[in-house]
Amino acid sequence: MSDIATPTQVSTYSVALIGNPNVGKTTIFNRLTGLRQKVGNYPGVTVDKRRGPMQIQHRHISIIDLPGTYSIYPNTEDEIIVHRVLNGLDEENKPDFVLAIVDMSNMERGLFLVSQVMDLGLPMAIVLNMEDTAEKQGIAVKTHQLYKALGVPIIQCNARNDKSLKGIEDLITKKTFAKPQPFLDTADLLPESLSDTISKEFNLKNPYQAFQLIRFQDSEVLLKKYQKDFIKEKIAEANFNLDEAQVKETRLRYQAIQRVLEKCIEHTDVKTKRLTQQLDKIFLHKVGGYVVFLGILLLIFQAIFAWSSIPMDLIDGLFASLSGWTVETLPAGVLTDLLAEGIVPGIGGVLIFIPQIALLFGFLAILEDSGYMSRVVFLMDRLMRPFGLNGKSMVPLISSIACAIPGIMAARNIGNWKDRITTIMVAPLMSCSARLPVYVILIALAVPEAYVGPFHLQAVALLGMYLLGIVAVLLVSIVFKLILKSKEKSFLMLEMPLYRLPKVKDVLITMYSKSMTFVMAAGKVILAISVILWVLASYGPPSRMDAAVAGIEAPAADAGEEAIESYNNRISSIKLENSYIGIAGKFIEPAIRPLGYDWKIGVALITSFAAREVFVSTIATLYSVGSDVEDELTIKEKLDQEVNAETGEKVFNVATSFSLIVFYAFAMQCMSTLAVVYRETKGWKWPMIQMVYMTVLAYVSAWAVYQWLS
Amino acid sequence: MTADQITRGAYALIEDLVPSELTLHLMEMGFMPGKRIAFLHQAPLQGPIAFKLENSVIALRQSEARLIQVQLDS
Repeated sequence: MSDIATPTQVSTYSVALIGNPNVGKTTIFNRLTGLRQKVGNYPGVTVDKRRGPMQIQHRHISIIDLPGTYSIYPNTEDEIIVHRVLNGLDEENKPDFVLAIVDMSNMERGLFLVSQVMDLGLPMAIVLNMEDTAEKQGIAVKTHQLYKALGVPIIQCNARNDKSLKGIEDLITKKTFAKPQPFLDTADLLPESLSDTISKEFNLKNPYQAFQLIRFQDSEVLLKKYQKDFIKEKIAEANFNLDEAQVKETRLRYQAIQRVLEKCIEHTDVKTKRLTQQLDKIFLHKVGGYVVFLGILLLIFQAIFAWSSIPMDLIDGLFASLSGWTVETLPAGVLTDLLAEGIVPGIGGVLIFIPQIALLFGFLAILEDSGYMSRVVFLMDRLMRPFGLNGKSMVPLISSIACAIPGIMAARNIGNWKDRITTIMVAPLMSCSARLPVYVILIALAVPEAYVGPFHLQAVALLGMYLLGIVAVLLVSIVFKLILKSKEKSFLMLEMPLYRLPKVKDVLITMYSKSMTFVMAAGKVILAISVILWVLASYGPPSRMDAAVAGIEAPAADAGEEAIESYNNRISSIKLENSYIGIAGKFIEPAIRPLGYDWKIGVALITSFAAREVFVSTIATLYSVGSDVEDELTIKEKLDQEVNAETGEKVFNVATSFSLIVFYAFAMQCMSTLAVVYRETKGWKWPMIQMVYMTVLAYVSAWAVYQWLS
Repeated sequence: MTADQITRGAYALIEDLVPSELTLHLMEMGFMPGKRIAFLHQAPLQGPIAFKLENSVIALRQSEARLIQVQLDS
């Protein structure tokens, strides 16, 4: 029976791509897998797992893209995964084969990593990429000589052209991999007695794996306490000095590589003025470099806020009419209401951010792929140091202007723990796109529509909010710098690759996959919260609800349309007041009084605890804006007219509006961000600290602003 | 002298690395004794220094460059 069920021609295997940063690994991965790739998460560590199927000639081949690294000894979160996958410690990702990508113009450093993989004993092949660049630099590699020296299949290519890619595909489908001989003799590094004991105890295949285990035993989650103790005991018994052995390994490796390369590389002197050097004179200039960077930032800003408004309005309108259509088409009832008022707007609330996020990631991908991003790190590192940040904090912080979620995820490639935590903790203070709709409404209420010289006052105020976010980031970073203790030394070692023209296809794939990650990560939470909020806002204690509704005088049977409309509005408003969420709003009113807020704003604060942009829709519901199509009043005008029943003063006066603006600037009102911080820091400690400090900061600042202005 | 003291545009040979926790990392990046490096750019306020090493450009902080002992080379 089983013969029929399993066709013999199908074979399933996985190939891991490994290589230094900037060797075109991602380009090759994108070409091999296209849009079929999936970005997931490695269990235990927090690194995006990029995996994609390649289906050719009845073979199911799974390609795993590993983060770029210089050696199998990890320095960052990203690189730990390389070590774990290659050592077979990651249950879900045990590659059958390794495809090592080497930059042909940087053979020595590339082979350093390759030779380590060889020593681990995995079947592998080597792709010498960037043939074109090497050629321009007068470097030629005798592939056959190199093959003879290493005993591993090697192809030369330029992954940017399709012909080369065919070669890589053939190599993978024909399984042209070979299990190499060890490159170094581990006996030179590790006493044989020690490696034998460890290999036997843990069932390892070769001495280099034993060396790896000794190196990483402390941080390996799969090892039990007694196993760690066993290793430690054996290390002590053998009187083995790991640090010395590692330095020795590195030296021996380079010497051996140099001996190999002497035979395999031909150098011709070419004296060409390289474009990269010319561009660096501008981009790294002490003044000009910063001017260019600022210009690029402004362009990104412009794009995020101006260009994306068209698709965003479109999505907004689409979901509004979808809601309306649902109400009209489906039979009236609770389910229809849930769909029309909870789920549809919930999905819309997630999708509306896609244009901004996709655009931002498009720009970041262009900056990254072109090689410019590492120049930004170079320029900004010194300026960020006094604040306890790092040049590499720039990408997370810039990303956070669109959304803190991808920003926090981008902090992974900061090697230093303290710098990374600080970056994660302050990233949500950057003004994200979810704050924008809140700012727009509140600024319209608080700031007059006037010009000072050529500047529109409201626009200046909006810009001021972004600056406020940046100032808060820097100040809070200083606090974390003073509080956090770290034994690790912060360091920056950064390769600045050649400038290259980014490929449109790569940029598009990045935009797509990052946007999908956002929708999956943030989307679920926002959607769930919208549904919960809808329930809480629609229901209340029944007796209380009924009494409140009965208290409103129904219009006479012959009343005009206007009277019925007004009655309906009052009903929905009183229902909200007596719903669970309305009760909660009243409950917190005493606490928010000093900030100048009433219970209705309290309700908005509670609902926007999950996601700040909910503020606008809650306020709209509370003041029953939009329930009447013919009602010409916009949300802003409606709020402007709202007066306090007791004092007769405007609710949204200047002091309250500014107080609210400041509150929204600092408060941690985003469940998705907390969820991501939890995931990235592997625990509840940091998300909790973040929520508490941001809430306190928001409360105190809003209080100060209100007291000052009123 | 150490690598941070090379004048802009000048070349030097790496003699040795001052032992530190970064030694291994510097070696992995290719800063090995005997290699020739050039001082290309430095960011303002004693910021990171971009060195040319073989065919690549690598930026190090000034404190890291101090760990590399060099001798000027023409």
